[in-house]
Amino acid sequence: MKIRRILSGIAAAALMAAVVTGCGPAASTDTSQTGSDPSSNAGNDAAKETTITLWSIATESDSFHTAYANAIKDFETSHPGVKVVHETFENESYKTKIKSAVAANELPDVFYTWAGGFSQPFVDSGKVLDLTSYYGNYKEDLSEAAVANITYDGKVYGSTIVTPVSAMWYNQKIFKENNLEAPATWDDFVNVCTTLKAAGVTPIATSAKDKWVLAMLHDGLTLKSVGPEKLQKTLLKQGGSYSDPDFLLSAQKIKELSDIGAFIDGAAALSNDEASAEFYAGKAAMYFTGSWMGGSIMTDAADPTDFSVAPIPVVNDKNAKLTDFMGGGADSLMVAASTKDADLSAEFAFEVTKGISKYAYLSGAGIPAWKVNYDDSTVPELTKKVTEYANSATSFTLWFDTLLESEDANEYLALLQKLYLGSITPEDFQKEMAAQLEK
Amino acid sequence: MESIRKNKLAITVFMLPAVILFAGIIIIPIIMSFIYSLQDWNGITEPKFIGFDNYIELFTSKSAGFPKTTLNALLLAVLSVFIQLPLSLALALMISKGIKGERFFMTVFFIPVLMSTVVIGQLWLKIYNPNYGVLNVLLDKIGLHSLAKTAWLAEPKTVLLAAFLPNLWQYVGYHMLLMYAGIKSVSPDVIEAAKIDGANEWQINTRIIIPLLKPVIKICVIFAVTGSLKTFDLIYVLTRGGPDHASEVPSTLMVNMTFDESRYGYGSAIAVMIIFLCFFFAILIKKGIKTEDYDEK
Amino acid sequence: MKSKKINKVPVGAYVVLLIWTVLCVFPLYWMFTFSLKENAEIFGENVLGLPKNWMWSNYADAMRSGTLSTGLMRDSTILLGFKNSIIVSVFTIALTIVCALMACYALTRMEWRGRDTANNIFMLGLTLPIHAALLPVFLMLKSLRMLNSYQALIVPYAAFSLAMAIMIFGSFMVNIPKELEESACLDGCGTFGIFFRIILPLMKPAISTVIIFTFLQAWNELMFANIFNSEKRFSTLPVAINTFFGSYTTKWGPIGAALVIATFPTLFVYAFISRKIQESLIAGAIKG
Repeated sequence: MKIRRILSGIAAAALMAAVVTGCGPAASTDTSQTGSDPSSNAGNDAAKETTITLWSIATESDSFHTAYANAIKDFETSHPGVKVVHETFENESYKTKIKSAVAANELPDVFYTWAGGFSQPFVDSGKVLDLTSYYGNYKEDLSEAAVANITYDGKVYGSTIVTPVSAMWYNQKIFKENNLEAPATWDDFVNVCTTLKAAGVTPIATSAKDKWVLAMLHDGLTLKSVGPEKLQKTLLKQGGSYSDPDFLLSAQKIKELSDIGAFIDGAAALSNDEASAEFYAGKAAMYFTGSWMGGSIMTDAADPTDFSVAPIPVVNDKNAKLTDFMGGGADSLMVAASTKDADLSAEFAFEVTKGISKYAYLSGAGIPAWKVNYDDSTVPELTKKVTEYANSATSFTLWFDTLLESEDANEYLALLQKLYLGSITPEDFQKEMAAQLEK
Repeated sequence: MESIRKNKLAITVFMLPAVILFAGIIIIPIIMSFIYSLQDWNGITEPKFIGFDNYIELFTSKSAGFPKTTLNALLLAVLSVFIQLPLSLALALMISKGIKGERFFMTVFFIPVLMSTVVIGQLWLKIYNPNYGVLNVLLDKIGLHSLAKTAWLAEPKTVLLAAFLPNLWQYVGYHMLLMYAGIKSVSPDVIEAAKIDGANEWQINTRIIIPLLKPVIKICVIFAVTGSLKTFDLIYVLTRGGPDHASEVPSTLMVNMTFDESRYGYGSAIAVMIIFLCFFFAILIKKGIKTEDYDEK
Repeated sequence: MKSKKINKVPVGAYVVLLIWTVLCVFPLYWMFTFSLKENAEIFGENVLGLPKNWMWSNYADAMRSGTLSTGLMRDSTILLGFKNSIIVSVFTIALTIVCALMACYALTRMEWRGRDTANNIFMLGLTLPIHAALLPVFLMLKSLRMLNSYQALIVPYAAFSLAMAIMIFGSFMVNIPKELEESACLDGCGTFGIFFRIILPLMKPAISTVIIFTFLQAWNELMFANIFNSEKRFSTLPVAINTFFGSYTTKWGPIGAALVIATFPTLFVYAFISRKIQESLIAGAIKG
């Protein structure tokens, strides 16, 4: 019979596949229905092992991967009998995954998340653990400022890893060739752009397709026009208003830059990967993004010594200083309320973020959120420089799209793209932002 | 024969597995989507029942522009039916009659369908890149210098067609395969008989093969139209629906609302509209293209 | 009857075929060359040319991914994904074909009340956007305790392929003359006999077509695979390749290599099965 032949053929193929690929530990078809218990098939000895499952976005290609691996190893060494299962997922699809997991109550013991508006619904749903009492033990090494964004209603719900800040990354070789210095004021900055433009160099590479990249610049300029207090009050909806004239300034600046042709051609269709590649290749002079770029330049640029970093220039010196920064602790680990061993999971969350913080700093991947009480002389130059900026910062404001709740954040990014394209005026942008935030 | 055709037990046995699978994974989610669409819900905390407010917003809110996304998707459907399918049919007819290299062409024409969206997306991003893209280099070479400066995916005027073109191109092979298999199942005796009667190639194609191919063409049209209304992957990779919603289609808007804005109820309302539109057109096409059904014989 | 006669095709047709060939082969060439480059070349001047520096190490990097901590090849993300994708695809195909063929026979060749309605309802399967099904199916699989398993993917994939398969089968089945069934009935075949002996053999080209489409869908699907399974040992190839993307930086070379590794099997499977369709010209001749 035909059908039987087809079926047996299929079965044979499956069997062969399993044999050829060396047959991992899992059974192929009968699949023990493990539910959420990953240890059931580990086939370990009778010795009682506790398993902590951690989800993160530190995939093997991510600059944080090694830091995670080392920190986990340290934890396993100091806690015999504890085994950590670290499952990693790609950034974008992880956002969908983690939201679905909260909705279905399928969270692992400990998981990576973003502080601010992104995690607000998780806290509201009651499916994550309040870590305030555990935080007491770590206060000395992890300042309250570092966990400010993961604190909701006065309760600490997570531990942070790094405190990235956004800055102006620039190609100092190109700057030198054109006799330019890193600008500290808006006028200097415009001068830099026009000079570069005249010399045939693209001043700023950015991505308006990955809208957060453009937002890095706009967020920064807004901070430098409005100042930290007013900005935070407005975004947190604690009495500030986006209708304040200072907010118009930064929107106008984006338009001004666009009008003088400061941005790379076709930025609306370029991804972050594509736009930053132009910067690494020396085809654009500046890139506005977070401190993680320090690590990327080391690996992706042909000659890392061509590059340098500076704070985003001040637009209105009545409100803001050069030392005000956008950024802060956003990358966090949270503990699920459903975890079997809350004490252990909470300890793990703090200990392992401490470890990641250290290893990530040493490798140049990020600015540590935890106190540096170790030798950091081997940290790459650029990361050290941006860390110094962060250490001497007079204020931190979390990026709009992280601080705001998803709906506001998404609208903000959409409006910003429109502003960039010129399909709305800076005045309309301000009006619509104010309307969105007052909703 | 009658009793065999009406064998209740056999009907039940034949239908049961499909019905179980279908009810669990397709029907229940459709019902749940409809329920979600009546709620104000972020997907996580307690939902709030709001009746048809989401639908009202869908058709009145200017910022999301749902009606326009639907028009965009319908444009893709039209392009698909009137450009992509005729091309697929022509290719299938050309290669299905034992020409030299039939297998080679069969394999090659299907390559775009086989490739992952990541590859196809990246490739077309390189083709359209304003600075080093293949398209602009070509335009420059043939003397169209002003056109050669266009950032195809960044201009609201050009982005829609630029984002649709890869879609149309990629799935030509898909429909070609369906039609090819359809042509292959036409009995050679019929064709042979027509040849003996003196019919030429064109007559065989138009009078014998295409009429017999009607059921296959019908499902190709249904697949093309529903596929266009649901299109997501390539648009998302190429433009994310932007710039400024210029290339937005219902699915990209739905994903944006559901997962980026955490407006699960609103996203579900878009999903329900997509389901409705797809179903409406599928039934319309099914009724519109008459085939000689078994019963009507 | 052997129709091995090579037909004459006008030159014009060959020109069209060749142009389209170039348009279709190009992505393959491009994928292969970009798998051998580094980021600077992929995003820079040398987008289309041959690699300046043939980076075969991209393949080694791709294969090695996942083995960093243990050093064991069986932990390789790509190999593991390959194995899982084969298992998931094969069982998805089997489940789809069996369910769809049987249902299709009842829906096109048998007579019962509500048949047309059932036919229409199955078309709903073409309408449901996969993203909208995400949360409901997730909750369903959770309540069936089926998360983190191969079934978590096989069952939804088969359900999503079902409508397509039933329609393709249907469009082929209506062309089978009913005289064939009647004569088989006179020879003493029952419903099942007719189904297995008469209908199935004539459905070969359709089955091959459905195998290809179902395979592609199961082989390339990312979202369900990423969300329904959280353990690496069940990760399919798209999930595995997805882990090659970093948050802020991505090395595209190894991704290209991984994509080549993932794509070539599909090409072979397709070439093999499409041959079956082609051969059915002879086999499909209805011997009345």
